[in-house]
Amino acid sequence: MQNNSKKWFVLTSIGEILFFLLLWQVLSITSWFPTYVSSPVEIFSRIGEMFADGSIYPHVGISLYRTILGFLLVVLIGTVLGMLAGFFKPIGNFFDPLISFFNPIPKIALLPVFLVWFGVTDVTRILIIFTSAFFPCFIATLDGVRNINKLYLWSAENMGASKFKMLWRIILPAALPKIFDGWRVALALTFVMMFSSEMIGTSTGHGLGFMILNADSYGRVDIVLAGVFIIALLGFIFDRLLILLRNRVLWWSER
Amino acid sequence: MTENEIAAGGSPLGKEKSAIKINKVRKVFTRNDEEIEAIKEVNLDIKEGEFVSVVGPSGCGKSTFLHIVGGFIDKTSGEVIVNGKEVNKPGPDRGMMFQESTLYPWLKVDRNVAWGLEVQKLPKKEIKERVEYFLKLVGLWEFKNNLPSELSGGMKQRVSLAKVLAFNPEVLLMDEPFGALDSQTREMMQAELQRIWSESRKSVLFVTHDIEEAVFLSDYVVVLSKRPSTVKEVIKIDLPRPREISIRKSYDFVDYRNKIWDLLHEEQNVKQLRGV
Ligand SMILES: Nc1ncnc2c1ncn2[C@@H]1O[C@H](COP(=O)(O)OP(=O)(O)O)[C@@H](O)[C@H]1O
Ligand SMILES: [Mg+2]
Repeated sequence: MQNNSKKWFVLTSIGEILFFLLLWQVLSITSWFPTYVSSPVEIFSRIGEMFADGSIYPHVGISLYRTILGFLLVVLIGTVLGMLAGFFKPIGNFFDPLISFFNPIPKIALLPVFLVWFGVTDVTRILIIFTSAFFPCFIATLDGVRNINKLYLWSAENMGASKFKMLWRIILPAALPKIFDGWRVALALTFVMMFSSEMIGTSTGHGLGFMILNADSYGRVDIVLAGVFIIALLGFIFDRLLILLRNRVLWWSER
Repeated sequence: MTENEIAAGGSPLGKEKSAIKINKVRKVFTRNDEEIEAIKEVNLDIKEGEFVSVVGPSGCGKSTFLHIVGGFIDKTSGEVIVNGKEVNKPGPDRGMMFQESTLYPWLKVDRNVAWGLEVQKLPKKEIKERVEYFLKLVGLWEFKNNLPSELSGGMKQRVSLAKVLAFNPEVLLMDEPFGALDSQTREMMQAELQRIWSESRKSVLFVTHDIEEAVFLSDYVVVLSKRPSTVKEVIKIDLPRPREISIRKSYDFVDYRNKIWDLLHEEQNVKQLRGV
């Protein structure tokens, strides 16, 4: 029964996508779409070529490296700081105004500053990714920790648990559903910002964002859209992986 | 008055050592610049091994009082002395059973019961034995591998009871522990608690809204006034132990019950007259 409904869901999802692509193809052929918007067949044949001749791999490799490193830094630093800020009131009070101030800043606007400091390097790119994705992770963790049922903590204190044990054995698992929500938002943002961070150009000529911008300057919309599609696909795969991990770790949680 | 009454009554065990001594405890909550006086003044002296129940109109500050004794919230003034030491933080000497379930939803039932024992670093074998013994005692051994979310409210409370009993504190603080049980299970648990208490001779401070439960279990029943609460009366329950379930039908039992009922309803009438 449950298996069936899952199968049904997958089938309808695929059907939906196919229908959408078919519609697009038809609109392209009948010239309802302007000619500079490539048709799905063109885009997919471009993607096929790029994989066949292997020219896409360096782009994917370097972009994934930046994205994943940025994401891992966010998870590590954002989650730990969020937990400390949520648990220890003075730390939380210290961070609260800083978050309100820095969160609304479009981090891409800091690009010139980072460029002066770090030049056209991965430090600059990953800083842009990190500063953007850090806030959703930090804020979700902080929120999750602050909203823990206080009786969980009282009960642990009652049994003589140390602060460290409470942080690790009570607060982390109790806040984890909320933390995963933050990670998910952060993950999507790291992909978005990966593209933006590659606007600064590159000495090696690699990176999906760079590839897209470069193709755009030559007017190759098919390559632009092929790049966009590959980013979407990678984002999709990592989002699914994160959900898989979530369901593994939070097996006890109803959702 | 209350201290003297308890002292004069003496302890049924003949021990005179105080387990819990409450001196002029007062509690005022502040919320959005508004002050709510929950407890005006409470004095109590609970001797070692005594079972003392607290009853009072709902919202009069019973949970607040227990949280203060447990050291979970600060008191505005006064002192709480447990086994000769003043307390103002939680500690494993006072095992608390909260009004709501505090079982961790990410741990199976047996791991929940074992939690405090692991924190106390007891030997693995002893933890296992205690968990099994107390889960069997509350009749939930078959559910050891279930998650709390798979249990009913009453079952969760029984697991919580097993958890605090397995922890084996010197003093038990219990906040309406049987509130969510059906009347049959409740009577069974009351009889069980009486048996465990009489074997272990722990000091128990027990909050309930069930008058019969208070009379059945207690050496003394403390009746609190409406909020801000004071001790309205302390009633010594002079019924022989061990008490059978049928004691509820005895003349003496009913007499105690009615007396406490009258005291509580005086409180409620005052409340109604004031339109609170
Ligand atoms: N944290 C709090 N802040 C403000 N008021 C509170 C707080 N906790 C309890 N109160 C108030 O104190 C009074 C006593 O509450 P409580 O001890 O839970 O009553 P009881 O357990 O007797 O039903 C209530 O009026 C309640 O609204
Ligand atoms: Mg209460």
